[in-house]
Formats: sequence, C-alpha cells, structure tokens
Amino acid sequence: MMLVGGVLLIVVAMVIAGAHSHRPTQADIDTAQARFQKQFASCMQGRVLGPGAQLPPGYTSLDQFCADEAAPNVDTALQFRDVALVIEHTSTFVVLLGVALAASLGGADWSAGTMTTLLTWEPRRIRVLLIRAIVVALVVALVTLFLQGVLLGAFSLAVALRGTSLGAPPGLVGTAVRTALRVSTVAAGFALVALSVATIGRSTVAALGVLFGYLVLFEGVIAGFRPSIQDRLLVRAGGVIVSQQPIYDQSHESFSSLGPLSSPPVLLGLTEAWVVAAAYVAVLMVVALLVFRARDVN
Amino acid sequence: MGVIELHGLRKEYRRIRGGRTVAVDGLDLEVPDGGVFGFLGPNGAGKTTTIRCVLGLVRPNAGSLMLLGADVSGGLASVIGKVGSIVEQPALFPRFTGRRNLEILGRIHRVARSTIDDVLERVRLSERADDPVRTYSLGMKQRLGIAAALLKDPSVLLLDEPANGLDPAGIVEVRELIRSLGAEGRTVFVSSHILSEVQQTADQVAIIARGRLVKAGPVNEVLAAGRARGLVVRLADLPAGARVLADAQIPAVVAGDTLSVELPPDQAERVTRVLAAKDLYVSELRPQEVDLETVFLELTKDEGLGP
Repeated sequence: MMLVGGVLLIVVAMVIAGAHSHRPTQADIDTAQARFQKQFASCMQGRVLGPGAQLPPGYTSLDQFCADEAAPNVDTALQFRDVALVIEHTSTFVVLLGVALAASLGGADWSAGTMTTLLTWEPRRIRVLLIRAIVVALVVALVTLFLQGVLLGAFSLAVALRGTSLGAPPGLVGTAVRTALRVSTVAAGFALVALSVATIGRSTVAALGVLFGYLVLFEGVIAGFRPSIQDRLLVRAGGVIVSQQPIYDQSHESFSSLGPLSSPPVLLGLTEAWVVAAAYVAVLMVVALLVFRARDVN
Repeated sequence: MGVIELHGLRKEYRRIRGGRTVAVDGLDLEVPDGGVFGFLGPNGAGKTTTIRCVLGLVRPNAGSLMLLGADVSGGLASVIGKVGSIVEQPALFPRFTGRRNLEILGRIHRVARSTIDDVLERVRLSERADDPVRTYSLGMKQRLGIAAALLKDPSVLLLDEPANGLDPAGIVEVRELIRSLGAEGRTVFVSSHILSEVQQTADQVAIIARGRLVKAGPVNEVLAAGRARGLVVRLADLPAGARVLADAQIPAVVAGDTLSVELPPDQAERVTRVLAAKDLYVSELRPQEVDLETVFLELTKDEGLGP
C-alpha cells in the first residue's frame, strides 16, 4: 500500500513539475550560458566569497566552488543538474516513510496477536527480534531505494520532455545514486529505531506517536533552544549523513550569505554523525531486546 | 516420567493500581505420554496462564516446568519442534489465505508443501484453503489453528479452549479430531471450561480452581470421587409417583420415561417405602449418573474454591 502510494505521489509530483516547466529555447540557453560565464568569472576573481575568505567546507578548490555557485540556470525549466538535490530534499519524506513502514511491521504482530503464534514456533526471542530487525532494515532499504529509483526515473523523464540537461556536470548520476544510497541507509537506521520502539510499546500507533513526538517536537524544539547539543541528535546526524555537510558551530564565527568567512569549529562531522546514528540504533535495539526477552506475552 | 511436568508452579500478575493477582498458585501436575488429557477449570482458574507458562510465553514466579524432558526456562527451543499449540484464539493473518498462513509458519521449521496439504485435508479445509482467512467462520479459523498446530507433526498438542465459540457441528468435528489425534499416540492437552465436552474426549483429567489443583487422574477415577446428587426412578405411573413423592416432601419431576428425584442416594429406601405405601412399585432405582460438572462443583465446594 505504501509502495503504491509512494509511486503515485512521485508520478503526480512529476506531472505537476513537468506542467510548470517549459523546455528552454536556444535563446534561453544562450542567455543562461552568458550569465554563467559572467558569474563564474566574477566568482573566480573572489567577488563571491569576499576578500581573504576561506573556501566553504566540502570544497577543495575555487574552481569547484564557483562551478557550483554559478551553474547555468534557466529559471523556467526543470534542470537535470538538480537531480541529486531533489533526492536529498525528498529524503525527509523517504526516511519518514521508512519509519512508518518499520513501525507498522514491528507493531502488526502485536496487534494481530501473531507474536504469540510466532513464539510458539521459535521461542528464542533474541533470535526472533534480530531476524525481524534484519528483515525490516532490508525491506525499508529496498523499498526506499525503489521509490528513489522511481523518483530518479520520473524526474529524468520530466526533464527529457519538459526540461534541460544544461549545466549537468559529469558523474551527476553517480552522485545522485550515492545520495539515494545514503538516504536508504539512514532510512534503514531510522527503521530499526522505529522497530525497537514498536517492540517496546507493542503497538504501531504507540511507536509512531513516540517517534514523531521525539523526532519532531523534542529534537526540533530542543535543538532550537540548545544549539550546542545538536551533535547528539538523531535527526541532525541523519541530515549530515545524507547531505555530507557537517554542522558547524555558528555561534563561533560570523557567516556570509554563501558560507563561513573563516573555518568555524565542526559541531557534528561526518564520522561523528555515523557514530551518533549508530549509537541511537544500538541503544534502542538493546533496550528492545531486553524488554522483549523479559516481558510476558499475554 | 510425564510429557509435561509442573512442580510448584506459581504465577502472579501485578495489577495496574497496585497489588498482585495470583493466577497459578503452586500447581503440581504430571501429564502422561499419549492420549487426551483434559485440563478443567472455570474461567479465571489459571488454565491459559498455565499453558502460556508451558510454552514459554509467560515466565512463572516460582516452580519448575518440564516439557518432553526439557526444562522450559532454558531448553524449550530443543523440543518446540515437537509441540503444536493453540493459545486462546488462533492468531492468523486475516488478509492471507489459509494456505499462505500455513506456508508462512511452515517456513520456520521447513515444513514440506505436501504436509500443508495433508493437514488442510485433515481439518477438512482443503476446499477453502485458498480463500482469505477473513472470510472464514469462527469454526474454520479454529480448524486452521489446529492445522497450524499439526504442521510440525507434534508429539504433544496443547489446545486452549479449542471448542470456544463453535457451533454444535463444529464442536463435534473438533471433538472427533482430538479423539483421533489422541488415538494416534500423541499427547493432546486440552483445556476447557466445558466439562461435558472434556468428559467425552479425555482419558485423564485435572481439575483446577483459583490456580490450584483440585483433582487429577483417569476420568473414571475422578468421576468416582463425585457423589450423585439424585436418584433415577422408573415405575409404571410416573405422574402418580411424582405426586406421591411430592406429598411426602420429596421433590421429583418426570424426566422422559423416568422420575428424577432430588434425594441423596443413601436415602433411596425412603422413595421405595413412600411409593410402596401407595401401591406404586419401582421397577428401577439407581443413583443419577455422575458427570464431571457434578464432580467439579462438589470438589470445588469441598475445597472452598468454587466459583
């Protein structure tokens, strides 16, 4: 059901995006190219970053930075060069879908009473939960990969029919695929968190309520009031993993509109993000295992 | 050695508002190998909790529990492949077909497809096997549950209230199935609060009330522990006999071709004397048949455990 809904949503979204896009004329492309050349030259002269400013994190050369900042842009058309960004910006929905799917899979056996039947066939509860965790993580990873594949395909089709591949750098598809893989990995991690909560609460609804309450309200609100603890929050860690952009301590340095004027301390780096996400998954899985092993099944 | 052995089994549940409820209170029980074993008791007596303890679903607070020679607390996995069970209502996936439900379970122990066909045939569900379970009647779901329990070709079957909610035809079907399973040499442990049902199928019974064992043994022995509460009297003029007994303050009603007299069997001579005084002669006089229900009520009354 979720799979069909997801595919339909993507198709509808791409039809709407395609309807609002206009295939650029040669004149539009020439104008965009001319604007790009001008902006690129200006960027290379240091006018974008400002005098003495360091490159933003993630960039190793000014060329690379300027190519990104001043890519040829046709405002009225879908551009294939945005494909990785589309994947990245839809990651929230994809991960939430994974959470909902895992909570459903985790809670269904409890609400249907089939957990009792299952345990009369395999009483080793740790084995039962670990196998369920592997299955849920794999299912979520595959479903989210499939949906992102559909999104990639639908976006490419919409671009082919109504957009342009102007300014698409070489290796863009590879970048998009790697982003999709990271999104699916994060979705699988969040799915394990959802499965753990569903196992502890023995209910899909309880799991969804607790997770959305925690992820949206608690992490959102707390992160707003206490930016310094962002390095320990699951949502932030997921965001860093997907975007490959560390979170910087903005209280230490002033930023220009395009990036830091000097290198600020990293609040949550890539490695730390993986560690934080893994810690959440591991701790919740262990708690779920202990609770599942100890509690009676009535 | 019994197939199932419980010694001092105790299970308490915490109440939400504090305090504890004792579901099973020091239960000792030994279920012999082979045949049908009836596990009787009123609702809330601790039958389902006991079965859940045997299956490792619920952890007892005290006592030891052996199933097929394995300690349930640590060795259940080694014997679970020989144990089939239904606990309360069989839990099945309603959107899947009956066959698909069995296939899903069968995968856990790598059960052959032919076995699935066999058990479906055995519970007479072959024709509806490919319909979604949500379209099944309660009796069909119960039979599918028994089919699932039979998938492992178990030597022990634990069936918790298998006749619950079934219509008379369904009850007869399940009864025959249980009898045939017991006759094959399997041990069928059937819990029920319908005493007459168990009386017709079980070779041995145990009666529990409030989590404690009241009586256990072969059905005939347990029945012998009960005392008949009335007399059956046959004579030529039944209405006249009833009237004469009523005049002598002995309650009696016509029941078919006999009189049912509410008088303890040890006072039977009063009946003959009263009737003979009015020229009514008894052709048959015997204690009423004792059934498990009578025994159960008497035993639980004697023990102060009655419902």
